[in-house]
Amino acid sequence: MGLFRNVAIVGAGMTRFHNRIHVGKTGRDLFVEAVLEAADSVDKGFELREAEAIFIGNYSSDCFEGQSHTAALISDWLGLTPRPSIRVEDACASSGVAINMAALAVASGAYDLVIVGGFEKMTGRETEEATEILAMAADALYEVPVGFTFPGLYAAIATAHFKRYGSSWEELAAITIKNHRNGALNEKAHFQSDIMDTARRLGERHNMTFKDELEFLRSPLNPFVAYPLRLFDCCPISDGASALIVASSDIAKRYTDTPIYIKGFGQASDTFSLHDREELTELKATRIAASQAYKMAEVSPEDIDVADVHDCFTIAEVLAVEDLGFFPKGQGGKAALEGRTSLDGERPINPDGGLKAKGHPVGATGAAMAYEMFKQLRGEAGRRQVDDAEIGLAQNVGASGATVVVQVYGR
Amino acid sequence: MEEKPFTTGSYREFLESGRIMANRCRNCGSVHLPPRPICPRCGGRSLSWMEIQGRGTLQAFTVVHVPPKRLRGREPYATGIVKLEGGPSVSGLILDVKRGEDINIGAEVEAVVVREEDGVKLCFRLV
Repeated sequence: MGLFRNVAIVGAGMTRFHNRIHVGKTGRDLFVEAVLEAADSVDKGFELREAEAIFIGNYSSDCFEGQSHTAALISDWLGLTPRPSIRVEDACASSGVAINMAALAVASGAYDLVIVGGFEKMTGRETEEATEILAMAADALYEVPVGFTFPGLYAAIATAHFKRYGSSWEELAAITIKNHRNGALNEKAHFQSDIMDTARRLGERHNMTFKDELEFLRSPLNPFVAYPLRLFDCCPISDGASALIVASSDIAKRYTDTPIYIKGFGQASDTFSLHDREELTELKATRIAASQAYKMAEVSPEDIDVADVHDCFTIAEVLAVEDLGFFPKGQGGKAALEGRTSLDGERPINPDGGLKAKGHPVGATGAAMAYEMFKQLRGEAGRRQVDDAEIGLAQNVGASGATVVVQVYGR
Repeated sequence: MEEKPFTTGSYREFLESGRIMANRCRNCGSVHLPPRPICPRCGGRSLSWMEIQGRGTLQAFTVVHVPPKRLRGREPYATGIVKLEGGPSVSGLILDVKRGEDINIGAEVEAVVVREEDGVKLCFRLV
């Protein structure tokens, strides 16, 4: 697929992702906050009213906040009526897909400058209710009534992966440890303490001490959510929003000398129910979306210097690094265990802490990945900066892989 | 039976009478459970009903400790993906299992149709 013209990000902003600090705010408050930060981040200045359209990823403000029709609400709250405003709902991939829609709209020549982002206000509901709302992204007839939750679906994938490749929960624990270590370096992350600090803090409360991370992660303080996945294999429930200012390459340099180009993007769907997949140990839609994005960007997996992947559960990071072509099938978890995906490894994965430590306000996640790539590729990622990062990738998954969207970013 | 449309409602009605009904594509032979109106493999729309016997093997599983609200009080419970004799795979509760260590992929299971408050469900029991 060729594009009529190229598309770049010229500004990016996000709220901190968290479960408590946004009490009293609604989704619209969070999104406006992210958009204002994105606007202020534009090097040569940007007025909101220069935007011609808005693309918003949001999973379920309907169920979480009792508010539908959020695209128009956001347009109004940003003071941007009568511009068109479009909501995209693709479960956890909502704002990742919104980025592709925005890129297509700008590449087509229809618009020169748009705002794209996402938000989710999740903590207004109890955990059980939130679990139920999230499970609506699985098959309401054939998966949910027989007990599948999202942790449950990914747990089932993990059992199949362990069996087929001899992979193990210890490899998943290495991903937990890595992503928390990275999150500790990210001021926007939900969790900003590494696993050893977390073990000390929780241990003190329960009169327990732990000699290392694994002892803590195997302890009753890390209970099963869905066997074999434990609490620290799962991303938290967070509130948050993220936003990008996206411009055509014709005008991007008016806004910054260092735009970050969306060099390639792809999207694929797969069977809605996990049980209909011929292969349970991969996300086929990742492979297809990635091959589209690689082709458009004219790069191969080896060229990617840094990537944010969709680690809603630790096993999902294993699948991602394998299906994106970074490591052979069955070796994704081992790569983390050997430090190959750490900040100082050969292929840093989730430098911002991933969904695991940064948090996962569902609709905000895809654009928050783009935010991280924008910072990394401009050398503005501070303590978590990956050296010489020139080409980045984001992989954003909807539900158990029925939607996957991939972007390749470059300077 | 041949008159029933290939809808989610027909599948449920069959299940309520204790039968597991799939459909088969007359063009490419692939089998779909639950039945579908369009063959996802070849796009074919010429389909026929096919009864599935309830034996199968476990392909993947979990034991859920944090349930959604509607299954509160039932945890921990096991659920999994079963490949049935005749081709299709399907999700179902694995009855009487409380610990992940007590089941294995490859285990043989048998279907049980269970009636619950929120409807009739396809479940499995280890054989």
